[in-house]
Amino acid sequence: MNIILLIVIPLLVAFLSILVKKYQMMLLIFVALFNVIILFFLKQGMIFVGGYEDELTHNLLGITLFLDVYAVIALWVINGLILVIALLNIKSYQTYGTILLLAMAGLNGLVLANDLFNLFVFIEISGIAAYLITTSNKKPVSTFKYLLYGSIGSSLFLFGIVILYAMFGTLNIVIMIREIEALNDYRQLILPFLMMFIGLGVEAKLLPFNHWVKGVLGTSNSLSGPMIASVYMAATTFVFGRLITNLFQFEGSLLLVVTILLTVGILVGDLMAFSSTKVREILLFSSIAQSSIIVLLFVNGLVIWAVYLIIANALSKTVMFLVINHSVQKTNDDEVESLKGLFSHNLLVGTTFTIATLSLMGLPLFIGFIIKLNYLTMFAQQNQFIVMIVILLASLIEGIYLVRLLIKLWYPGDQKVEVKYHLAFKVVCVVIALSLLVFGTYSNPLNKLDHNIDEISEVVIHG
Amino acid sequence: MKKFFGLIVAFAFGLMIILALRNMSGFPAYGDVNLAERISGSYFQSAIAELVGSANIVTSVVLGFRAFDTLGEVTVLFVSSLGVALILDFKHKKRMELAFKPNFMLKTASYILVSIILVVSFYMILHGHLSPGGGFPGGAMIASSVLLLYLADDQFRSKIQGFKILESAAGSLIVVIGLVGLVIGTAYFENFLNTGVIGNLLSAGIIPIIYVLIGLKVGSEIASVIDQFLTEEEKS
Amino acid sequence: MIQYAAIFLFALGFYGLFVNKNIIKLIVSLNVMEIGLFLFIISIGFVSDGIAPIVSSVDDLGLIYVDPIPQALVLTAIVIGVGTTALGLALSKNIFDTYHTLELDELEAIQ
Repeated sequence: MNIILLIVIPLLVAFLSILVKKYQMMLLIFVALFNVIILFFLKQGMIFVGGYEDELTHNLLGITLFLDVYAVIALWVINGLILVIALLNIKSYQTYGTILLLAMAGLNGLVLANDLFNLFVFIEISGIAAYLITTSNKKPVSTFKYLLYGSIGSSLFLFGIVILYAMFGTLNIVIMIREIEALNDYRQLILPFLMMFIGLGVEAKLLPFNHWVKGVLGTSNSLSGPMIASVYMAATTFVFGRLITNLFQFEGSLLLVVTILLTVGILVGDLMAFSSTKVREILLFSSIAQSSIIVLLFVNGLVIWAVYLIIANALSKTVMFLVINHSVQKTNDDEVESLKGLFSHNLLVGTTFTIATLSLMGLPLFIGFIIKLNYLTMFAQQNQFIVMIVILLASLIEGIYLVRLLIKLWYPGDQKVEVKYHLAFKVVCVVIALSLLVFGTYSNPLNKLDHNIDEISEVVIHG
Repeated sequence: MKKFFGLIVAFAFGLMIILALRNMSGFPAYGDVNLAERISGSYFQSAIAELVGSANIVTSVVLGFRAFDTLGEVTVLFVSSLGVALILDFKHKKRMELAFKPNFMLKTASYILVSIILVVSFYMILHGHLSPGGGFPGGAMIASSVLLLYLADDQFRSKIQGFKILESAAGSLIVVIGLVGLVIGTAYFENFLNTGVIGNLLSAGIIPIIYVLIGLKVGSEIASVIDQFLTEEEKS
Repeated sequence: MIQYAAIFLFALGFYGLFVNKNIIKLIVSLNVMEIGLFLFIISIGFVSDGIAPIVSSVDDLGLIYVDPIPQALVLTAIVIGVGTTALGLALSKNIFDTYHTLELDELEAIQ
């Protein structure tokens, strides 16, 4: 089983599915299931697309793809969540099956890529698929702004890649890591790294390039909300993590600028969530703050905890966005005040939503607490006290607004709110909430992945 | 006021890039490149050039060594045309009413021009591995001939179903050819046909075949986008 | 010289994106920025006294050629830019049919 099948089979089925429009969603679910199953049987390592390798000098002549434990975790999260979202939306969004297949192919390629220009092409594929998913909101102005910001970000990313090619003569990530370490002079590389950081930062919702998030996620529905807020964010932050820990070198003034940008992003995100009265806006501003925390963890080298935070975030945000978007669709109203008492008749869904929220806040008994405890300890060990204080302050603000949201949603007000959730919905929410609970109390399996994640540096050292 | 501020920001941005590039000692000056230091140096060695077998080295990069990027590019165009069809979707369509009405001489002369354009585009697609050109410009020229037909005749609407079938079939065939390379040989997109002598028309293995498929796909996609733009809702 | 011109075009497109409020003008500025970027990419591959990388026969492999990789990158990037522009124009047509205006400040006031 070759790893390229993860990308090629969704592409092939997508090309064929425009002829059989009625069965798009069926094909999507079938392919997503196939992808999740063959993830068990894949061998890890590097493959050469086209088989072009120079025998004499071991030069990598063509494009390569690389699979290691980090990529396997990312692929699990992405394919699994797409399967779940597709299963829940099988009746309501019939015409979006082909687009979701292409998004799956693009996101898989994003995580597996080992060649910088190939990464750019897959960023574009998944970006255009994301713009099309957001057209389901029926707000063309927000989609247009997302398209504009995304294209500017990709152009800056391409600029950075080309400068790196001119300096080192190769586009392969593994060879470029070796050459950058041989050069050992980060001052010359500030411009390309900064450009690539800004380019990816637009998609990963970092400040100040996240003007598009309010329009797109503020009017989302049960397809585009979970897709953009959890699946795309998980994939983009996984790629960001791989580039930051291996390729970029953050030292000196560049590190200072980036750290300031990220900490300001965390505070602003949480403050704006605090001051908002619409449910979807609260969730999206907290997403912005969380993604800034994740990138900050990667910049400081805490790879394991960043990965756990990505997974925990993706799972909790899926549940929260699904529940909220479904209820907003049924009641046609976005304000927190009009959704009061939502859970008083829906006990099961309410409990799972509460579990996801409490895990996001980082209370004990849930996985969010273990993650937060560990990374704050590591920050203290690195003497990064300012960052610690900022994160603690942000968690305090976050705790306040999330608890306020929960109280409003549980206790009924004057009007009665009646929303029904169908069975598949409840099953999904229960499964995700249980996993958040279980891993919160028994976190041993996650510790085993600790020493397996850094395999790409082994390849770099040993060739 | 905003314009002045914008001018300052853009000027500062350009100046910052130029100064940063001048100060980087690793960034080579214009024209001062030694190809042996880059990967492209090995593309010109005879043993490696014959792995792909095409006389146009840019084609051997685009469809040989970096064929996966070309597959991604074809997918981007596919997603865009799918998106245009999704956004501009109406129930009953008819040709858009324009203020300009073409006359008889324009209609007749356009048919002659369309045949010339089609011949040149097919020549360009077939000789992609011997001279500059290939599937992408050839496909764009096919689409431009369709645009000429649309502009010269205000009642013309091509059959959309035919384009969709052509686009889907061409795309799937490209992916399937790559899969055949995986099954027969060792890697995806491996060049499994005989590569022949560099410089002949029938050389370079699977490359001319893939270029023909890409040309047809790009042509039909852009033609369907043109059709989507030039139609509007039928107000009955 | 050409690299300065390419960066000037890139900055010009950036200025256009910063200042304009009309949707069509924003799409045009994005295209100008991308053209500057493509010129810059091609200029990286230039080798002095090099000829176009087309081999006439097998004996010619010893001459000096220009770098073919940036040309292949630009081929792909141009097509991606065309795809994005087509999508942007379709969205603008949809916006005009729905709201009958193409200025971003008027559109934000409506919503």
